[in-house]
Amino acid sequence: MAFVEQHIHDAPTSFWSKYLFSFDHKVIGKQFLWYGIFFLMVGGLMAMMIRWTLAYPGVPFPLIGNLLFPHTGGVVPPDTYAMLFTMHGTIMIFFAITPILIGAFGNFCIPLMIGARDMIFPTLNMLSFWFSMASGVLLLASLCLPLGAAAGGWTSYPTLSTNLGQPGMGQTLWLLSLFLFGVSSTMGAVNYITTVITLRAPGMDYFKMPLTIWGIWLTSILNAIFVPVLGAGLLLLTFDRVFGTTFFLAGAAATSGRGDPVLFQHVFWIFGHPEVYILILPAWGIVSDLLSFFARKPAFGYKMTALSLTTITVLSTVVYGHHMYTTQMSPLLTQSFMTLTMLISIPSAIFFANWLGTLWKGSIRFHSPMLFSLGVVFVFGLGGLTGLYLASTSIDLYLHDTYFVVGHFHYTMAASVLLGGFAGTYFWMPKMFGRAMNETLAKWHFWLTMIPLNGIFTGMMVVGYAGMHRRLYNPFIYEFMNKLIPINQFITYSAIAMGLAQFVFLYNFFKTIFFSKNEPLASDNPWEVGTLEWQIPSPAPHYNFKEIPHVKCGPHEFGNPNLKTGRDFQYQTEELVEVK
Amino acid sequence: MNSNRAHDMKLIQNSVAMTVTLISFGMLFATLFLGYFLLRFNSPTWPPVEIQNMPQLIPFLSTLVMALSSVTYYLLEKNGPQRKLMWGLTFILGLAFLALQWSLWGALKSSGILVSNGMVPSIVYGFTWLHAAHIVLGLIALLWIGCLIFMKSPSLTSFKLMNVGKFWHFLGVVWLLMYLMIFVL
Repeated sequence: MAFVEQHIHDAPTSFWSKYLFSFDHKVIGKQFLWYGIFFLMVGGLMAMMIRWTLAYPGVPFPLIGNLLFPHTGGVVPPDTYAMLFTMHGTIMIFFAITPILIGAFGNFCIPLMIGARDMIFPTLNMLSFWFSMASGVLLLASLCLPLGAAAGGWTSYPTLSTNLGQPGMGQTLWLLSLFLFGVSSTMGAVNYITTVITLRAPGMDYFKMPLTIWGIWLTSILNAIFVPVLGAGLLLLTFDRVFGTTFFLAGAAATSGRGDPVLFQHVFWIFGHPEVYILILPAWGIVSDLLSFFARKPAFGYKMTALSLTTITVLSTVVYGHHMYTTQMSPLLTQSFMTLTMLISIPSAIFFANWLGTLWKGSIRFHSPMLFSLGVVFVFGLGGLTGLYLASTSIDLYLHDTYFVVGHFHYTMAASVLLGGFAGTYFWMPKMFGRAMNETLAKWHFWLTMIPLNGIFTGMMVVGYAGMHRRLYNPFIYEFMNKLIPINQFITYSAIAMGLAQFVFLYNFFKTIFFSKNEPLASDNPWEVGTLEWQIPSPAPHYNFKEIPHVKCGPHEFGNPNLKTGRDFQYQTEELVEVK
Repeated sequence: MNSNRAHDMKLIQNSVAMTVTLISFGMLFATLFLGYFLLRFNSPTWPPVEIQNMPQLIPFLSTLVMALSSVTYYLLEKNGPQRKLMWGLTFILGLAFLALQWSLWGALKSSGILVSNGMVPSIVYGFTWLHAAHIVLGLIALLWIGCLIFMKSPSLTSFKLMNVGKFWHFLGVVWLLMYLMIFVL
């Protein structure tokens, strides 16, 4: 068992060292949470404008339209529309989901759940946050440029993203911002991987780690390997734009000598497919834990779940070609990528069945984290199944770049991850900020999110299957699309409903943190679970554990009838009581 | 905990972090090489347009310099008494490498090979720029090690020497591969 001496340092006292340039993993985690929530709101507003344009093309955006687009009387202009969907994707993926799931929960949970006093490289951790801050500022700054921000889609394929497709600085700033973000992610990944390997408390074997840690750890491994691939692509594209190289130029864009635009797609998706697992693995881990915690049962097939997550991590690196079926790949390659992609359904089905096994005959407590976790089970089931259609080459040739794809990846990457993020926020809130959020409001938040969410994304799959392409400013200039206007309006109403529901969360969140000073602090263990972080006071004190705990059993020991402690669960520091 | 075990643990912890870091950097360069191979094998002829007067001597010299600097760094790690000398040699060789790259870009320009002249110039310039940027990082790390050596700082551990060394040797290997790909094959 790797064990390194960890000293207790004095708690910082000044505002700067306590809240801004903090080395404490808990503070950095919270910083990432705020950062993510801020960008979630920015990205969400952009989604509203996109949806409004699709439901009511040519009608001014309500309330703030005139303020944002005075030249057109409040109507979203076509070039701005392209900018909006580009920035919506970029912001949500890199600046909302990643900071919340990996930055916030990764930082907050890893040391607490493995029994360490901090990350192994606290300075690197702080640098990682401030690099991502710089990258966020660059991205927001690009919105204010005269020619607007990047508008080539979040994938920013050349030739759309070359100087020919995107004059102006917007795309260049986008590239630099994402490169900085990649540096920040890689720093975080090095830190997380090393921390999990070397700082686990004595007795904390890999197979005694909570599944949350498994998810975040596997994500970090993918991050460390594949984010630099994107980095290389971004740098070469920057060279093309700024210094005049011709890596990705062809045709009319290449005045002297030519490169290969499809090369960028290869590079992008070698990173991009692992990236979707980078986003979902932490959510899977959190949900796997929470299902067991609130079903009051040991996680069914814990080891198999951990191993199938690992298998998915490995497989995710060799399937990227399924994003590129329409690039005239050789049929031999498409068939191979199709087979490999379909292979992923085996480990996915294993852990999905394990989730259901965990729930089976559990005495389920329907607290808000559990509701959100069950939401993830539902939406991920749906999203995962629709992935099979897209994996199949012949169906994908028809569905490629339609709203079916948009619906599919929103179910898997957006809905699952969002609900998983909410589950985690509600669950760790007492340990993060000292008080739990209001349960009634949380349950309202769940239902007000869950129902419209399905309206939005199933609606998208329906219109996609009917042939509506993504990224069109006004699809209804095609006559055959006109019948899809009502359902697009339905999707937009659902989106507005879901957007408004998030204010319930924001109210609850802000009220709990800033306006509940008179209410008592949460108890050490309000959810009655046995992982290490629930044995220390809420909120977690500076340097976490007075004594480094000695771990003796797994994280999900629930409902053992032989327990004599009067509890239905065991702490991880207790000797395992045998079930006879 | 006895000190031997503490040393082992420290070693594991340091090499895990540096290994992960080098994998990350390695993937960056591996992506460049992948791009190179895809472009090269998808092109009916290579180079697509015949390049006149590609400098050969300068990149050969910079390869030699890079190899020598790896040797001196190895001696720096091994050798207690000659530390300062070996550090000085490594650092000077590193600077010489950068100077050679600078003159390579100048030579390319004066023989009419410009950045925008197509695929091969793109690769030559783009790859050497990225590598040189990492050499700058490496030199900063070397400078830091140098400060610790000359100040006789107690915080100069064998781990720090080892990690900076790994990074420096890694850059050497990357340069060797680049040299072979661009100038030899």
